[in-house]
Amino acid sequence: MNIFIYEMKTYQNSIIIWSLSISALMLLFMAIYPTFAEDAALMESILSNFPEEFARAFGMGGNLSLTSVPGYFKFIFIYIQLAISIQSSNYGFHFLSVDERELTADFIMSKPVSRRKLVISKFSAAFSGLIITNTITTAAGLISIELFRNGNSYDAGNILVLMSSTFFFQLFFLSAGMLVSVSVKKIRSVLAYSMGLAFGMYIISALKEALGMKALGYISPFYHFEPGYMIEFGKYNMERASISFAFIIVSIVVSWNLYMKRDIHSL
Amino acid sequence: MNIVLRELRSNLKSLIIWSGCMATLILIMMMEFEAYYDNPEMAGLLDAMPQALMKAFSIAGPNLTTLIGFVSIASVYFYIMLGIFAVLLGSSIISKEERDKTAEFFLTLPISRTRAISAKLIAAVINCLLLTGVTAAALYSSAAPYNPDQEFLRFFRLLMSALFIIQMIFLSTGMCTAAVIKHYKKSGNYSVYTLLTAYIISVVISMDNKIDFLKYFTPFKYFEAQYIAASGELELKYLIISAVIIIAGFTGTYLIYPKRDLYI
Repeated sequence: MNIFIYEMKTYQNSIIIWSLSISALMLLFMAIYPTFAEDAALMESILSNFPEEFARAFGMGGNLSLTSVPGYFKFIFIYIQLAISIQSSNYGFHFLSVDERELTADFIMSKPVSRRKLVISKFSAAFSGLIITNTITTAAGLISIELFRNGNSYDAGNILVLMSSTFFFQLFFLSAGMLVSVSVKKIRSVLAYSMGLAFGMYIISALKEALGMKALGYISPFYHFEPGYMIEFGKYNMERASISFAFIIVSIVVSWNLYMKRDIHSL
Repeated sequence: MNIVLRELRSNLKSLIIWSGCMATLILIMMMEFEAYYDNPEMAGLLDAMPQALMKAFSIAGPNLTTLIGFVSIASVYFYIMLGIFAVLLGSSIISKEERDKTAEFFLTLPISRTRAISAKLIAAVINCLLLTGVTAAALYSSAAPYNPDQEFLRFFRLLMSALFIIQMIFLSTGMCTAAVIKHYKKSGNYSVYTLLTAYIISVVISMDNKIDFLKYFTPFKYFEAQYIAASGELELKYLIISAVIIIAGFTGTYLIYPKRDLYI
C-alpha cells in the first residue's frame, strides 16, 4: 500500500495536467462546433444534389452527418484519443523502468516486499491514474457537448459507450509500454519510446483512413477502437477490439513473467 | 571532432530504427498507390467534381490518382514523424549528459561549452539530414515505377526541403528548451508537448477558418503540400518565419547553456 500511495503522489501533477489539458481540448473542439456545423450544413446541402461518392470524397459520407453532434464528436474524438494514448504510453514505459534509470532499484529491491507486490502496486497506481483522467475527461466531454450542442440532439448512451472504450484503449498502451520496458535492457528516455508508439499507431490509422492500407490498420488500437463505429451503433466493433483485448492479456502475462526473472541493472 | 563522432555513434541506433520505420511506412503506403494510379473510374469522378465548390470550401480535394495528390495526403504525417525525431533529438542531445550523469565528466574536458554545443549541433543536423535523405530515397524509389514527371520531381524536391526546414525548426526548439529548462525530464516534456500543441492547433485551424491567424504558431501549416503542388514554390513569408525561429532557437542555446547551472 505504501508503494501505491508513493507512486500515486508521483503521478499527481501529471494526472492533473493531463486531465485539465484533455478537458480543455474537448471544450475547445466543442466550442467550434456551432460555426463548423453551419459550414458543414451548407456544404452538405450542396452535396446532396450529387451522388453519394462526392460526399464520401469530402469525408462527409456515411450515416452520420458532420453537422450532427455524434458525427462531429466522432471526428474530434480521434484527437482526444491521441492525447490519451500519449499519456498512457508515458506511464507504461515509465513505471517499471524508472528505478533502474534513476538508480533507485537497489533501494526498492532490498525492501522486504516481493516483486509480485511491487509490480501490482506500481501497475495499479499507473492504471488508477489513467482511470482518474478518464473519468474527469468523460465528465468534461459530456459537459462541453451539453454546453455547445446548439439545440441538436444526441444519444448520450452511445457517447458513454465510446468513452468507456477509452479504458481498454489506455490499457493497450499501458501494457504495450510495460512489455517493452521489461524486454529491453534499459529505457534511457521514456518520451522517445512513448511518442514513437503513440504517434506511430495514430499515423498508421490515419493513413489507413485516408489511403486505405487495410492490413497495416489491424495493428493500431486507433483502428480497433475507431470512434465512428461505436458512436453509430452504440457497441464495440468486437472483431477489431478483440485484437486489442488479446494483446493486452498476452502482454500483461508476458511482462509479468519477464519481470519476475529480470536481472535488475544497478550501479 | 571527437565529440561529433561520439554523438553520431551514440545516436546511430535510434537513427537506424527511425529510418527503418519511415522507409517501411513509405513502401507500404506507396504499394497502396497501385490501386489509385490512373484509375479511370476515380479520375472521372474527380473531373466531375464542381471545382468552384471545392475552392469555396478551401478543401481542394487532392487528386489521389496522381503521384502528387497521393503523396500530399501523407505529407503532414511525414512532417509530424520527422518533427518528433528532431525535437526529441534536440532536447536529449543537450540534456542527456545530465540524465546519464556524464555531465561532470563531459564538461570538465578541456573544451568550452560553446564548442561542445557546436559539436552536438553538427551531429544533430547530420542526423536530421540523413533521416530526410532516407525518407527522400524511400519515397523516390517507390514512386519511380509510376513514371514521375518533371512536375512531380519539382514538388518532391520542395517537399523534402520543407521536411528538412521543419526538422530544423523542431531541432532548434528542442535544443533551446533543453538549454533553458534545468531538469532533463521537464525539458523533454515541454519540447514534445510544444509539438503536440502545434499539431492540435493545425487541426483546429482546418476546422474553423475564423482563427486562421493562428497558423503562424504551427510549423505544420507553413508548407502545406497542396500549396506547394499548386504554386510550385515554398511561401516566402513562412521561409522567413522559419529562419527567424531556427536562428532564435540556436542563438538561445548558445547564449543560455554556457552560463547555466547543471542539474547533477
